[in-house]
Amino acid sequence: MHNLIIAFGEVYQNKINPASLEILTPLWEISRALQKGLSLLILTDNFSKLDEDIDLKKALCDEILVVENRELAEFKDDLYSKVISSVITHLNPYGVFFPATLQGMALAPRVAGELGVGLCAHVNALELEDDKLIMIRPTYGDNIMAKLFSKSFPIMATLSLGAFSIREKGEKPIIKKFDLPEDFDWSSKIRVKKLKATKKEMNRLSVAKVVVAGGLGLKSRENFQKLFDLAEALGGEVGATRPVCHAGWVEEDRMIGVSGVSVKPKLYLGFGISGAIQHTVGMENSEFIIAINTDEGAPLIKMAHISLIGDAEKILDYLLKRLK
Amino acid sequence: MERIIVCIKGVPRPGTVKVDPETHTLKRESAELILNPPDRAALEMAMRLRERYGVEVVVMSMGPPNVAPLLKEAFALGADELILLSDRAFAGADTLATSRVLAQAIRGLTPFSLVIMGLKSVDGETAQVPPETAAILNLPSVINVIDISYSNNRFYLTRETNYGEEELEVEPPLIISMNPKLEYFRPPSLKRLLQARDLSFKSMTAQDLNLAEDLLGLKGSPTQVAGVFEKVFSQRGEVWKGEPEELADKLINLLREKGLLQKLALINR
Repeated sequence: MHNLIIAFGEVYQNKINPASLEILTPLWEISRALQKGLSLLILTDNFSKLDEDIDLKKALCDEILVVENRELAEFKDDLYSKVISSVITHLNPYGVFFPATLQGMALAPRVAGELGVGLCAHVNALELEDDKLIMIRPTYGDNIMAKLFSKSFPIMATLSLGAFSIREKGEKPIIKKFDLPEDFDWSSKIRVKKLKATKKEMNRLSVAKVVVAGGLGLKSRENFQKLFDLAEALGGEVGATRPVCHAGWVEEDRMIGVSGVSVKPKLYLGFGISGAIQHTVGMENSEFIIAINTDEGAPLIKMAHISLIGDAEKILDYLLKRLK
Repeated sequence: MERIIVCIKGVPRPGTVKVDPETHTLKRESAELILNPPDRAALEMAMRLRERYGVEVVVMSMGPPNVAPLLKEAFALGADELILLSDRAFAGADTLATSRVLAQAIRGLTPFSLVIMGLKSVDGETAQVPPETAAILNLPSVINVIDISYSNNRFYLTRETNYGEEELEVEPPLIISMNPKLEYFRPPSLKRLLQARDLSFKSMTAQDLNLAEDLLGLKGSPTQVAGVFEKVFSQRGEVWKGEPEELADKLINLLREKGLLQKLALINR
């Protein structure tokens, strides 16, 4: 009982989503410390199709647990959650964790609701305190982090994207098929009609070597758009704070921080960003941080290796003028 | 189509947040509440379906009594019925304890075809309540929906996934969360705003919902806060001051030293 930790292995087009491999890194540490097994759970219509996926062969876990059924060819929220709940009921794991992808965010709360257990969202660090699992995430207030725990089993959480780096394992994990009971109901109320695969290239924010980020201090959407020119000149990607995304200046997939992605570039440039913890947890591991802000007391100025005290808009304009 | 239920949430106006020093949960009673911005998309979509299919829309909110003005905002947009779910026993709830209350209230409104919520609240930012409520009711859920239509007792939904836009056919009843982006939000009706002033509406407690108190609020929440700590950043870097132009030049020199302008040099050549 409670001797297993399960990570959800999200699969798309016969490849494991790297976000699922990221979460194995902290879970591996926790599972070794607590002497528990670590399984990557994969739901698929045909596991042999994943044979070519080399990333999966290096996954940092003890075993890959496979539930195979033709009804699992497409992601159906209600069926997938029923399958995972059934696996949990049979194996009685210590913890079940999901990457905070849209699929993870759709599934984890369903599983928690079906089982009536606790679920923490967007956790970006895991720690053990007297063998008790503590989940850490930013909370209300300036620079305040909360340590959360769950009174129920399995302990469940979604883990922030990019918060952990993928680590590979020398030996191939064992592959174990898991059969659900004969009378399991494979029906779903959801039918997938078609998937119009996204045309725009996914941004490479989480792995970018240079990140040029902007906050409300840039004053307008037009000014924010100029960051794309600077990012191009530096061979980097554009990131944003939460308020900027909420103001609609840029797509939410560029949000850095607690409910967005974490970045660890060689160079991070923050224009007009004061540095609320909801943002800084997602960039604090950047190698070199440059902050541009009028407010010398801003948290990001304190974090930065070099701070430019001044108007972010004006400095950005001069930079672009000089670079043209 | 049967009725549509919309669940909305009051969130503290930025800057008015107070945190309970013991439980580390938000003190909602003391904060000035505004409508959770993503919930506007849920209300707007419900009103569009109301117009298109002539269906009744019930709007409910769980929270302290000061969420009442937000329900009246929903009335001004066209809601037919309002329900306030309010009880001291609901305070400090995590997403599971919240979902239990919403699920029970929704169950009481059977028959319904669709429950719409915003993708997430801007205070908790978990996005968990819509699927969690659906699971408790054993209903299908779809998150991050960008479009809905209905015919022959089926909903046709488009959702945004990490891989692209996906079209689904779903058998009602179901719970969805709406992506916050819509190209149009209707303004409230002036006439209905005036009517809303003296409007009284249903308020339900834990007892009205027939819910056991040990499953509610902070006590009924399996996730707990063990403690909080402040991240302290010590001043570690150089601070440059001066005219913007001068600072920009200094920065360019630094980037060049760091070899970060190579790409640009190639473009200019």
